[in-house]
Amino acid sequence: MHKLKWWQQLTTQVGLTLVALFVLAPIWGVVYLAFDGGVKGWPVTFRIWPEQFTFGVFQQVWERPSQNLPFLGILKNSLFVSGGAALLSLVFGASMAYAFARYRFPGRRVGLFGLLAGALLPPVALMTPLYVLLTVIGLRTSLVGLMIVYTAFAMPFCIWNMRAAFQSVPKELEESAFLDGATPLITFWKVTLPLALPSIAVATLIAFLIGYSEFAMGWLFVEKPQTVTLAMAIAGMVQGSTLESWSKLAALAILMSLPVVVIFFALQRYLIDRLLIGRIE
Amino acid sequence: MTRSWLYVTCIIAVTLLALGVRLRAVEMLPVDYDEDDYLGAAQRYARAINAGDWGEVIHYDFNYEHPPLTKLVYGLAILKLPEAPLLPELDSTAPPAKSLPEIQFKVARLVSAAFGTLEVLALAILNPLAGFFLAINTWQIKYTSQIMLEPLPALTSTLAVLFYTRSRAKWNGWVLLSAIALGLTAASKYVYCLAGIAILADWLWVTRPASLPRLRSWSSEASFHREGIRLTALARWLGPVILWGVVSILVFVVFNPRLWVGSSPLSQALLYHFDYAQSEHVRRAGFPVWQPLVWLSMPVPWHPGVFLISIDLFVSLLAVLGLRRLWARQPVFALWLVIALLFLLVWPTKWPQYILILTAPLSLSAAEGARAKLWQPLLNWLDRLRPGFRARTGLSQGRLGWRDTRRALPWLLPGAIALSLIALFPLIYQAAMSLTDFNAISIRDGIQGGVWRAVWQGLTGQEKPVAIEILGGGSGGRQVHYAGPTLLLQLIFGGASGLLVFNVMWMVLSVGLQTLLGLGVALLLHRHGVRFRGWWRAVFILPWAIPEFVGALVWLRIFESRYGWLILAQNIPKDVPLPDYFENPNTALLILLIAATWYGFPFIMLAATAGLKLVPIDVYEAAAIDGASGWTQFRYVTLPLLFPLLLPAVIIRSIFAFNQFYLFIAMRTSPPLVTLATASYYIFSPTGYFGGQFAVSAAINLFTVLVLVVLILWFNRWSKAAEGVTYA
Repeated sequence: MHKLKWWQQLTTQVGLTLVALFVLAPIWGVVYLAFDGGVKGWPVTFRIWPEQFTFGVFQQVWERPSQNLPFLGILKNSLFVSGGAALLSLVFGASMAYAFARYRFPGRRVGLFGLLAGALLPPVALMTPLYVLLTVIGLRTSLVGLMIVYTAFAMPFCIWNMRAAFQSVPKELEESAFLDGATPLITFWKVTLPLALPSIAVATLIAFLIGYSEFAMGWLFVEKPQTVTLAMAIAGMVQGSTLESWSKLAALAILMSLPVVVIFFALQRYLIDRLLIGRIE
Repeated sequence: MTRSWLYVTCIIAVTLLALGVRLRAVEMLPVDYDEDDYLGAAQRYARAINAGDWGEVIHYDFNYEHPPLTKLVYGLAILKLPEAPLLPELDSTAPPAKSLPEIQFKVARLVSAAFGTLEVLALAILNPLAGFFLAINTWQIKYTSQIMLEPLPALTSTLAVLFYTRSRAKWNGWVLLSAIALGLTAASKYVYCLAGIAILADWLWVTRPASLPRLRSWSSEASFHREGIRLTALARWLGPVILWGVVSILVFVVFNPRLWVGSSPLSQALLYHFDYAQSEHVRRAGFPVWQPLVWLSMPVPWHPGVFLISIDLFVSLLAVLGLRRLWARQPVFALWLVIALLFLLVWPTKWPQYILILTAPLSLSAAEGARAKLWQPLLNWLDRLRPGFRARTGLSQGRLGWRDTRRALPWLLPGAIALSLIALFPLIYQAAMSLTDFNAISIRDGIQGGVWRAVWQGLTGQEKPVAIEILGGGSGGRQVHYAGPTLLLQLIFGGASGLLVFNVMWMVLSVGLQTLLGLGVALLLHRHGVRFRGWWRAVFILPWAIPEFVGALVWLRIFESRYGWLILAQNIPKDVPLPDYFENPNTALLILLIAATWYGFPFIMLAATAGLKLVPIDVYEAAAIDGASGWTQFRYVTLPLLFPLLLPAVIIRSIFAFNQFYLFIAMRTSPPLVTLATASYYIFSPTGYFGGQFAVSAAINLFTVLVLVVLILWFNRWSKAAEGVTYA
């Protein structure tokens, strides 16, 4: 391939700049609000730069984001619910994923399809029955109940991805361990699991993110302000009548999104390579 | 011999079926909009003809927006009937009359049904299955059993195309018949002439000269000669077509008495339609651009009990599947279908009867689809069932080792138990709920086992199913009642096709835009020696990394209807009403698409970038040596190699787009601009506006699962995308 001529370089850069504007302008529209101390409630004038530049909004949000819970309390709820869901998916799902990756048994194909379908269902697919069932056992409004809902949504996805991780571990390694006298459990623990660990970690992380950024189910199930997660707090600020200020909303959204963005930047290679599995010859 | 007998029997059976269902509809359908207008016009024509007052026939101009032929035909039909009081000439937007003069009304409707049946007969002769689909199309039945303008032009436009296909694009008697039929079509209702455009396009394409000699210079003797050849070729090409057009225009004028005195009625009528399309009456109906697709994918929602078979949704699906085959076998019908559909999408007036301009090619396409996607697979399957197939192909059910199963069991157990408890059992419970009328009022009973009781009693026949509607709710009692599979069946047969059509359209449009932008950006970044490549990529990944609802928030900040960036930037004075971008479904869709493109293109870009790295460079070098230009390289080298690598990403994104939920919740869009998942959420939410309909929400969820399973099965045939399911 020939190198770009100067004018081709120029048009390419202009095109990329336009796309970058499309990407960044809307983000800036929210981000600058977080640094603007002059916005009370909704922004009422058009501006693209903070009126009074300040970090004070973040400080306010840290102390009293919404309702009467401190930021750390809300964050704790978020971490508990989504971390719990990820952990449950991992603990209960890993061995199943391994079975699907290594053994042949009746109903395997149906099970695989069921897992795939489960991984691709919308989050509301099981909302209706879970709402009633969790009410019956009295867990609906608790954080544990929410954790169960997120697990139901994240687990098939997690299993499906972990299965692929186990499958990519060469079978020969296990066989040689077996020949050396290791039991299946030891083989799994000492050979397969460590090799598949990076991919499993990614799958778990995604299961975590699903719960971390979920709010709609949350508002449906949870009633007490003490059990609000971070995503729910933000959504509640937009949809509820208690919108104090868009600056606080923006600050909270930034605080919530930042770790996710960092994780995605770190993981992009892993997430995309999954798409190319079996395609590289 | 037996085959042709079978063919004829099929045609007769289909025609009789068409006649039967139309006669039933003639009896049962209530008086509808416009029927009084057309019957009134017919009465006046009949009276004028009886009195020999031909001036009145020529000059009568009530309902001038439509040409008079159909109304004249109705007039002729009631010519010999005893006179009834003349119907008042009301505005065309007036509500339907309470009752019409009985005998005239029936006879006119019978004429309508006769034309409708004849159209089925005509199509059935070409393809009996297509005739069957046309015979049972509920919209077709409705509008060819009432006193509407549709039956005659629907028949003649179909005939025009059928005659044209018989002529094989040569000038002969068939073409003459086609021209006459087209002229009659124009004299009945203008919009049906779109079939003529399809004929024109097909004809010009099929008979296009192999090459028109180019003229280089005017000076030489030879070029004069060449010019002569050129003109002859042109004349030979265009002559018959022009002749066909002239004949149809002549027929149009002959059968349109209003034109005998001048051409102003024509421009008047066309002007009316343009004005009407912009009118308050049409605007208030609030139909989105894609409404014709909704009409096409649902049976007539009014008049329960009139239509015995309501499979319009599936016929339309088959038509989509069969379009390619139709294009290959009978391009003129495919053209007709596409042109008419494009017109319906563009034209602002969206009344349901307009879809009759394309029901004929739609039925034909559905017949092709049924052949390719139902009949052929069925034959293959039967073939496989035949004894000896297994032996022939060496296929045998591999015996599953019991030992392997026993070893797998402990591994499966924890996950199986957990999934059964939190996913499988809820799914079963959901299915049970969808069979009841469970809602917020009966929640106490439902929680205490009322759902199971109702289903048990219903399935064992102890309780009669209660009536329930998707948006109408159920009985409203404090007890849960059995409602039977009504809700699911309604959904499957197109009861929520407004949602379904939007959902599928949303998937196609949003992923299409994302793919275009994502692929474009990836190609730009892939060019050799682009500066700042890493920086650009890092910027472009941002929307993908931001949680979906924060992304939606970012766009809400711009398009919000009171304090959004866009509104504030316009600096509208206080006393001027603010434009609400979300009120008009078309602009709302645009906003949603912009946000979705922003959110989804990075994923496609990443996948395309990863794919592009796998395209070997020497292929390009070979192409460059062969002299391929940039576009040729892209079209014949990059795209074919990249396509299989990109397909999984597109498929996965499609499914995520089908399920899109947080964007709609955050933007607070209202129906029809919601996906199935969003609708289910709104209908379920106990505190919401139409909320608390648990059974309906459960049924929609089950339906969504069903559609997704079909989508996944379908996608799986193209690619192994499933293996790479990831966070999209």
